[in-house]
Amino acid sequence: MSPELESDTVADPNYDDEFDAIVVGAGLAGSAAALTMANRGLDVLLIERGSSPGAKNVFGGVLYTPTIRELTDFDDAPVERYVAERRFSMLSKDDETAVSLRPGEWHEKPHNDSYTVLRGDFDEWFAEQAAEEGATLLNSTTVTGLIREDGRIAGVETDRPDGTIRAPYVVLAEGGNSLVSEGANLKQTETRENVAVGVKEVLEFPQRDEVIEDRFRLTDEAGVSYHYFGEGAVGDAFGGGFIYTNEDTVSIGVAYRIEDAAAHDQSPEETLNAFKSHPAVAPLVRNARTVEYSAKTIPEGGAESIPDLVHDGAAIVGDAAGLVLNNGVHLEGTNMAVESGYHAGNAIARAADKGRVGADALQAYPESLEESFVVKNLEHYQWMMNAVEEDRDLLFEDLPRAFADAGTEYFRMDRQPKESHAKNAKSAVLSAVGGWTGAAKLALRYRKVVT
Amino acid sequence: MSVQPQTPDLDNDSMEDRLYTVKYEDPGDSHLDVKVEDVCMQCETNDCVRVCPANVWREGDDGVPHIAYENCLECSSCRFACEYDNVVWTYPERGAGMTFKHG
Repeated sequence: MSPELESDTVADPNYDDEFDAIVVGAGLAGSAAALTMANRGLDVLLIERGSSPGAKNVFGGVLYTPTIRELTDFDDAPVERYVAERRFSMLSKDDETAVSLRPGEWHEKPHNDSYTVLRGDFDEWFAEQAAEEGATLLNSTTVTGLIREDGRIAGVETDRPDGTIRAPYVVLAEGGNSLVSEGANLKQTETRENVAVGVKEVLEFPQRDEVIEDRFRLTDEAGVSYHYFGEGAVGDAFGGGFIYTNEDTVSIGVAYRIEDAAAHDQSPEETLNAFKSHPAVAPLVRNARTVEYSAKTIPEGGAESIPDLVHDGAAIVGDAAGLVLNNGVHLEGTNMAVESGYHAGNAIARAADKGRVGADALQAYPESLEESFVVKNLEHYQWMMNAVEEDRDLLFEDLPRAFADAGTEYFRMDRQPKESHAKNAKSAVLSAVGGWTGAAKLALRYRKVVT
Repeated sequence: MSVQPQTPDLDNDSMEDRLYTVKYEDPGDSHLDVKVEDVCMQCETNDCVRVCPANVWREGDDGVPHIAYENCLECSSCRFACEYDNVVWTYPERGAGMTFKHG
């Protein structure tokens, strides 16, 4: 247990009115906010409902670190591997068509700021960085509601003795299952079209050493990020599968919209089993032992789903604010969580300097977030959610099959001239997309994916 | 179309074994419930059951789901899935419920 956990040393002290700010949730966004405010001299209480930071947290697997490296000394951070390969793979029922990137530059520090991590270790370490700057971490404590005084948010109710804790500012970093923010009418419950369910396993390979290095062609601390789309990944649902390599384990999982999970005949667990059994996936994870099974929800509503970020006396950050980007190619949330916690923490520190608590005094947070990559990226890709939804059969079923067929035809080895193979390959793709006109329309519609 | 007889057989853990990998402390009471039982009785889709990754929500004899709350991974999918907003979801208190070691 960490020494900063005051409940270990003092029997349930009363924290009411003892702090400048309360942070609800010691995940990435919450600890970033706590660290930022503590750095700027505020007394911060960081409340975590799990027995330690990370205890209730899970994610796919890649942490993007450009902001976190600015906030603290990252050299001792418990990362698993740096991402040395990114692979994007379309799976039809039996086929795989993939693109893989292994730039030499990714082997050099800071490794494109992309590392696989496990949240149990990482979140605990990050919260400790905030504690080292003076924040008080309070574990095993659940915030059950917000206190309002004179119309503004003035603190939190908790499940501990003397559970009422008042403070001038509250940062809501509860994650996607944001019961406190919703209970206080600071945001609406997200619709199930905009929330994904993710299930994941952490696997180990007990039978022999260096299985991960051998299967994924890795040396030293290099690792991989594999993303999978299409029928072979999550059936006809909107979502995908992933594999990330950790130091001694592999994280494998699927995530897709709850709307589709409700319409599906198979449960998320069965979808994970089917993905793991795909002929292109099974050899990567055979002879493994499950060391952890986990699940979470992911807010994927994009820019349109971001709630009002500041209220009188409060700010919402991270997943609770819907700050997740999923455009098919980029799956990002950790970087946006840290960035939002940083900007919210700064805005509160500035308002505290002036002794102001109103939402208008915290406007610097939404303003700087809008100027940052967070909102710019979410807005840039908002169109894509709608486009992909409209083209889902084509993108997730027809195209993966067509590309596999085209590849099969193009490389067919027989006694026909290659020209006829190329023609067959072309027609496999063209018939899936609706001829040249359809191809041109698609190219036009999705040109912004890469630009 | 390709046929791949060489795909290795995977020994996937049962749900029971999978859930056994997650540390659990029973808070004593269920942190999950339904708001109005009549709503569940009239519900024909049981989306809570369909989306749950941990077999917490199970079809009950009287049309009201049985809730095996001690299986819960606290993902909250049921809360979003229910189109009648009929799921009561509260955080287990004082550090109880499940704990992920890896995450």
